[in-house]
Amino acid sequence: MSETSFAVLGIFDTPNALMAAIPKARAAKLGTVEAYTPYPIHGIDEALGLRKSPLGGMVLVMGIIGALTAFGFQYWISAVDYPIITGGKPAGSWEAFIPIMFEVTVLFATFTAGLGMLFLLNKLPFFGHPVLSSKAITGITRDRYVLALEAEDEGFDSAAAAQALRAAGAVEVEVLPAPDRSPFLTSDFILRTLGGIFVACLVAGIAIYSLTKWFPILKPMVYMQDQPRLNAQKASTFFKDGHGMQKPVPGTVARGYLPTATGTQEAAAALINPLPRTQEVFALGRKVFTTRCEVCHGAVGNGSGSLTAAYGAKAGNLQSQQFRDYPDGKIYWAIVNGKNAMPSHAPYLSERERWAVVHYVRALQRAQNAKDEDLKVVTP
Amino acid sequence: MRTDAAQAGAIPEALLEPALTVGVVTPGSLDDQVLAFPEIKPPRQWYVGLAITLTALFIGLSFIGYTFVKGIGAWGNNSPVFWAFDIINFVFWVGIGHAGTLISAILFLFRKRWRNAIARFAEAMTIFAVMCAVVFPLIHIGRPWLAYWLFPYPNQRALWTNFRSPLLWDVFAVNTYFSVSLMFWYLGLIPDIASMRDRTTSKLRKVIYTILALGWRGAARHWQHYEKAYLLLAGLATGLVLSVHSVVSFDFATSVVPGWHMTIFPPYFVAGAIFAGFSMVVIVLVVVRETMQLKNLITVRHLDVMNKVILAMSCIMGYSYMMEGFTAWYSMNEFLHHGFMNIISGTYGWAGWLTIFCNILFPQILWFRKARTSYFWMILVALGVTVGMWFERFVIIVISLHQDYLPSAWRIYQPTMTDFGILLGTFGLFFTMVLLFARVLPVIATTEVKAILPDAQPSHHGDDHHV
Repeated sequence: MSETSFAVLGIFDTPNALMAAIPKARAAKLGTVEAYTPYPIHGIDEALGLRKSPLGGMVLVMGIIGALTAFGFQYWISAVDYPIITGGKPAGSWEAFIPIMFEVTVLFATFTAGLGMLFLLNKLPFFGHPVLSSKAITGITRDRYVLALEAEDEGFDSAAAAQALRAAGAVEVEVLPAPDRSPFLTSDFILRTLGGIFVACLVAGIAIYSLTKWFPILKPMVYMQDQPRLNAQKASTFFKDGHGMQKPVPGTVARGYLPTATGTQEAAAALINPLPRTQEVFALGRKVFTTRCEVCHGAVGNGSGSLTAAYGAKAGNLQSQQFRDYPDGKIYWAIVNGKNAMPSHAPYLSERERWAVVHYVRALQRAQNAKDEDLKVVTP
Repeated sequence: MRTDAAQAGAIPEALLEPALTVGVVTPGSLDDQVLAFPEIKPPRQWYVGLAITLTALFIGLSFIGYTFVKGIGAWGNNSPVFWAFDIINFVFWVGIGHAGTLISAILFLFRKRWRNAIARFAEAMTIFAVMCAVVFPLIHIGRPWLAYWLFPYPNQRALWTNFRSPLLWDVFAVNTYFSVSLMFWYLGLIPDIASMRDRTTSKLRKVIYTILALGWRGAARHWQHYEKAYLLLAGLATGLVLSVHSVVSFDFATSVVPGWHMTIFPPYFVAGAIFAGFSMVVIVLVVVRETMQLKNLITVRHLDVMNKVILAMSCIMGYSYMMEGFTAWYSMNEFLHHGFMNIISGTYGWAGWLTIFCNILFPQILWFRKARTSYFWMILVALGVTVGMWFERFVIIVISLHQDYLPSAWRIYQPTMTDFGILLGTFGLFFTMVLLFARVLPVIATTEVKAILPDAQPSHHGDDHHV
């Protein structure tokens, strides 16, 4: 192993000396000429005859791929797979995709520039490179400039190479033996691993997507229609009695309909008419009486409405002593609950209308049974 | 490098660029000065500093823990100020980060070689600031263990994210920014880490640096690709730094809150970010320069130029503030007008005036060269700008939200202990990272500084055959 050598290193003190030595070393045609320096030196790539770095093109291509990926992904998600209408815009409106397109473009381009440079072009990491175990390496990363003649094949003559480097002005020369171990953790290995991880992620992603999308037997929680819930007018197992719609809790009061004590006529007798006796209230009472009561009870409430003649049934004579002795609450009770053949009028009359009718009935009764003092009031 | 006599004769002295370093600096002495920090025992001040920052960090972590247990109700933000300290701190820290990218990328593209000595630290601060910033969106969602829901990935719920939400743009912008900054920083570090690998005598350090350096050996073929990659990354990062804070401003601009719906927001936010970031860099650099004896590398000229940038940004901020007032007046928009009057005379009027004083009036002292080169004034201005820029975000967010269109929904916002504790915690995190960074990695990009030392490059002037 020690017979063959990997390279011969010539050490220089200044960048100028290194630059001057490069043409001479290249002219010797003993092996590949490579320079090792602590920082980039301008013009060294032309002197070594290196081709331009292809990184710019790679970054451009990957940047374009990044932009297209970002656009395609967002469009497919927002317009095809899971359309979301936001702000009334069409599902495919692309203007809002631009910020993320920009970011993804930069991300793709950056990873290409950084990792592409390290792994693809420079073939790093390369921990087992012979130069790293040379004596010259401490100088290379500090303040020395090294020119190397590296073996291209078996016929590399290290003695001649050392001679040539000395002739070119090297202060010191070091012969590097070929490595006896193959390098571990190479860039190829890392690239393959990263590629494998990428492919695995891609496959897993597509698999999960298609499983949930096309085999709904998995029933993810997105299927909200399968949750236990109530449908109006339908049977349901949610409650014990099997009804979808439940009866209201006893004592439930509908909005705007506070209950009054109208359970029995006697209870209702205690009610007091809450409305004042104003012209407006009497007008309302008259309107409602004319609409709903007059047809049976007659225009003056004496029980001879137009229906009496047609059907022969006799409605209550509100002018009779019995009804004149009724407290207001009993009349109100009759309107709400109905009496004998008279049905309940509660559904059709508001609270205010019912009490207005009571006032009007009282007015009718007094008008039909006027006393002397009543006349005095009207005619002063 | 322009010190040679031939150059001096050809260019009038007044036009000569001042030297980038003080005294005789050679590549070897540079290594011995900068790369030796991890090898020597840190001074007592370092431990004291670390104790303080770790205490702050711990306080912050306890309050974050308290938030998780208690819920977001532990914070003072309540209807209608749903955004408060969390978003203020997020915007503030993202802004701090921008100086690093600006120094490392934009100044690199402009071939401003004075950046080389300070770029490493500024970039590191970018990464730490973004780490601080990321904390806030993460915890403000209330259930941080579900933060991965923000990422578009095929999931069992068959749901995708909404790409029209600026908050999702933030997720992409900040993540991209962090990745790119980290890549940029690490790429620049590789040759330096290789230097440290080759000079260290400790076994453990050798192993760590060997792994981190990826086997870098300084071959000309590698340098060629490396320089190309660095240039490309600088170009990409330049676009990015302008976009990240613009996207942050979109969070505001796409809403209809009066005062947030302005086209000036993206450039105004970016300028403010650079402003705040440069101030933070000045503060940290002054401390580093003094405690680590780097006066010959971070020269007074560096600080002078940094302060000039701060001054320029201050003027841009002044213009932006005036534009806000002008827009409020010229638009004849009642709500905008009310919002602006709130800034200068409302309940939080003191915050508005504090912002104007710290960001616009006080930095004007930097017009004087004396102030630009005096520690006292530059630190005072930088601290003022840091406070002022924090309050600027406070003004934008809290003042706009606490009184918008509906007077019945107007409320006063009052931060709680938890809010302050978490803010303190991020400062703890930031400076802890800065201290640790100064201990284990090269604080100055030695490779880049070596390349701009006198005689570092082969001479192209005069006669090549002589050499």
